[in-house]
Amino acid sequence: MSQLEPRETVAGAEAPSTHGGALRHLGDVRFYVAVFVALLCCTLLTVAVSSVHLGALNLVVAIVIASMKATLVVLFFMHLATGSRFNAMILIVSLMMVGVFFAYTLNDTGRRTEVDVDQSAKVSPATGLPAPGGAD
Amino acid sequence: MATDSSSRRPTFLADHFDTAEQQADAAKLGMWVFLGQEILFFAGLFVAYGVFRSWHPDVFSAASHALSKPMGTANTVVLLFSSLTAALAVRAAQRGARHQTTALLLVTIACALAFLVVKYFEYQHKFHTGLLPGQWFGVPRTFPGGAVMQRGEAAPALPAGAGAFFSLYFVMTGVHALHIIVGIGVLTWILIRNLRGQFSAEFFTPVDNVALYWHLVDLVWIYLFPLLYLID
Repeated sequence: MSQLEPRETVAGAEAPSTHGGALRHLGDVRFYVAVFVALLCCTLLTVAVSSVHLGALNLVVAIVIASMKATLVVLFFMHLATGSRFNAMILIVSLMMVGVFFAYTLNDTGRRTEVDVDQSAKVSPATGLPAPGGAD
Repeated sequence: MATDSSSRRPTFLADHFDTAEQQADAAKLGMWVFLGQEILFFAGLFVAYGVFRSWHPDVFSAASHALSKPMGTANTVVLLFSSLTAALAVRAAQRGARHQTTALLLVTIACALAFLVVKYFEYQHKFHTGLLPGQWFGVPRTFPGGAVMQRGEAAPALPAGAGAFFSLYFVMTGVHALHIIVGIGVLTWILIRNLRGQFSAEFFTPVDNVALYWHLVDLVWIYLFPLLYLID
């Protein structure tokens, strides 16, 4: 057994590898507080932007800001910046699968057609024009 | 069978691990696999949200205004702060500072309870004004601790389809609140183990893993807040 001495390292710097980075890395308190302040600023920003009418861009801006916050939490509070790369891979693969889930589902639900009773024809709700697909 | 090498094994180190690092890395890997599962679990709800919002964007925008932005923002700040204290609790445990770990875990649990109190008042308002899921939408209901309002009172006029928005609102925030309640449970369990002196600078993996779970609960809320409360 090697000696396991707690070791002070500057946050963001390479953790000592001899004793396993995830176990030994010790962040600076001021750094954690700075991350928290950044998260608060992002929250205020997203609330402020929500009252500005940007149309479809509102959703994009909200998702981008939320993802910035999520990145801060994952990298620094959850220590993926200094922790195991393999753990990071598990997270990234999960998020890719969420992307597949969204893409295939919305590609389906966004193209479904409704039956126009008056014309007895399938029409796309988006365009109002005759559209293929759906059950007979 | 106390050989020279086994007598120097730390008590926290399980037989099937060679070193403390290996044990900590294995535990953390297991936790990340669980967190990956949690993300995929919540993805089902987020995809349902995406489908219904893409079908009825105007209904979602109108219904979103019935939610309290100040309450949602307050809860966001409370959860972010609890994530900070959870991260600092892990840091304190890493240093073997037991009393500091105890204090930081207590603050984290207090924040979790504060989150639920705010959520209670939000749900109460929804029940009293009939902002309810699906077929129950528009009919005010009783809820512990307050008077029922008349239909339309305090609640804005909303399209009939808004029930779909509130179905998603209650399921998503409800499942999230369930995670908060489970979080309070596991944080309390870790607090008790810490008070019993089971953690040290050499062994603090359970504190680390429970904090990881708590950060995930925070992550889900980071997306729920703008998607439910801040639509246009």
